[in-house]
Amino acid sequence: MMNKFFDLRFVIGAFFLVVGILLLIYSFTNEEVMHAAVNRWSSITFIVFAIIMIILSFDKKPEDKL
Amino acid sequence: MHLHLIDYAIISLYFLFVIGIGFLLKKRVKTADDFLMSGRNIPLWITSLAFISANLGAQEVLGMAANGAKYGLYTAHFYWLGAVFAMVFLGLFMMPFYYGSKARSVPEYLKLRFDEKTRTFNALTFAAMTIFSSGISLYALAMLMQTILGWDFNLSIWIAAFIVLAYTFLGGLTSAVYNEVLQFFLIVLGIAPLVYIGMQQAGGLHGILANVEGAKLHLWKGMSNPADNPMGTDAFSMIFGLGFVLAFGYWCTDFLVVQRAMISHNLNDARRTPIIAALPKIFMPLIVIAPGIIILALQKQFSGFELPLNVNGQTDYNMVLPLLLSKLYPSGILGVGITALIASFMSGMAGNVTAFNTVFTFDIYQTHIKPNASEKHYLTVGKATTVVGVLLSILTAYVARGFNSIMDLLQLVFSFVNAPLFATFLLGMFWKKSTSNGAFWGLLSGTGTAALTYSLTMAEGKGGSIANLHTFYSGTSQAFNIAWISFSVCFIITTVISFFTEKKPENQLVGLVYSLTPRQQDKNRIWYKNPLYIAIIVLVITLLLNILLY
Repeated sequence: MMNKFFDLRFVIGAFFLVVGILLLIYSFTNEEVMHAAVNRWSSITFIVFAIIMIILSFDKKPEDKL
Repeated sequence: MHLHLIDYAIISLYFLFVIGIGFLLKKRVKTADDFLMSGRNIPLWITSLAFISANLGAQEVLGMAANGAKYGLYTAHFYWLGAVFAMVFLGLFMMPFYYGSKARSVPEYLKLRFDEKTRTFNALTFAAMTIFSSGISLYALAMLMQTILGWDFNLSIWIAAFIVLAYTFLGGLTSAVYNEVLQFFLIVLGIAPLVYIGMQQAGGLHGILANVEGAKLHLWKGMSNPADNPMGTDAFSMIFGLGFVLAFGYWCTDFLVVQRAMISHNLNDARRTPIIAALPKIFMPLIVIAPGIIILALQKQFSGFELPLNVNGQTDYNMVLPLLLSKLYPSGILGVGITALIASFMSGMAGNVTAFNTVFTFDIYQTHIKPNASEKHYLTVGKATTVVGVLLSILTAYVARGFNSIMDLLQLVFSFVNAPLFATFLLGMFWKKSTSNGAFWGLLSGTGTAALTYSLTMAEGKGGSIANLHTFYSGTSQAFNIAWISFSVCFIITTVISFFTEKKPENQLVGLVYSLTPRQQDKNRIWYKNPLYIAIIVLVITLLLNILLY
């Protein structure tokens, strides 16, 4: 698992996954509907992007390692 | 603007990741080449994104949004007339000489093609320019933090400088490049929702068309007369000044961006780097210019979107993006937007510091101070230069605080350095008879002419320190004109002196001059592996955009 952190795609994916999850959780605490929707849709976009990057990081090419 | 815990958490997470990348890369850095040139071992998708991200610093992210509000769609000429064509030219025609000559920097190519004095002149002006530019990024970041978040100016400068120092010192150029890629995605994903929300609030495309003055929604209309378009420029200075001299001068000779292609695996990747980078570059106006146009429509329909005044009492267009972030983003995504801005400033600074340490170590220290030292010694010098570069940037940031016109001055410095340099490269790469003395004196004359033209003309109250022989409609128009004049002088002086001075033997110019270098035919039939095919796609899309948005 630690080796995955040497792939930039995994690092970028991990960053946006954590940000996406934080935003998603936070969106449920928003009292204003509009604010909640903005955070929720943004978080879903980030999580989808993160998953794509993490999946791509499993396509092993030696030159893609950090 | 009031941030919540979630916003601070996202900003802190970003800081954690960028320093983490530096720590991960630390053990890979063993030689000066690893530290300063990434061992020429970076994959294509990373070099391509880093290529455009190196230009996605403070000036671009805040400045293009500001220009979007000030000049409207005309700002897109920086992309669809300037950058894209220059990037394609770099990939197809110039990169074989940069990469093929095995030069480690742009000044080093000048040494191989011409001589040591031309290289040293370029290395010194470039080093000064990078430190100046890095300091401006730091100053702008601290100002932004102070203005919109209420953070202390000094604390912002030192925290940002420390973080940039930490990851560039640990991982060198590779660390800077990898953070540029992270920054690219942050800016796109962090600002794109702002464009969407802004468009919705402004009433969609119909609302934009109805509320923004027509002159700001065209690319070419009104170009026949400077008084008829918001940029106050004419077709000649736009096409020749921006489209040819400034854009080609920046994208084809500025080591900060060219370095990103020079660290590719092989020549094919190096050639494809700027051309592939041109594809997302075509669409960047949607992220960086659109907010400027959107705010114009919002100002017509709602209150609270008025831009503040700067210290000179003029509209502060630089506040377009911060104002939209504060008005349209709720807490949470606001943290992402602020992080994207911080990332662009820090990345802009890191890019300049890494270009500075490469040029100083290879082109000044190794050449003039201590040649033939060990790899370990140059690695130590490279790391020490990184620390010095960051400290000088801090100093420049404080100097910048005393000058409210420093951003305009920076744009002028670019036109002083890059515009004549492009003439030197054009003649050096494509005319075998150009000589070392011709190049040196041409470069010196071009830079001097730029300074003289600035001192004899004025725009928006700036320039004219000797006399005011002509007043331009805008500072941008002044920069375009200075660029083509300094380019022309450098071109003519280099050509004339070359006729009367000794030229290098042709056998020393193989691999450095177009007519003396065997053509490398790219026979790859897979379209995305052939630079020419990708270039055609890029150019067709760009031409279509110019026609559609006429």
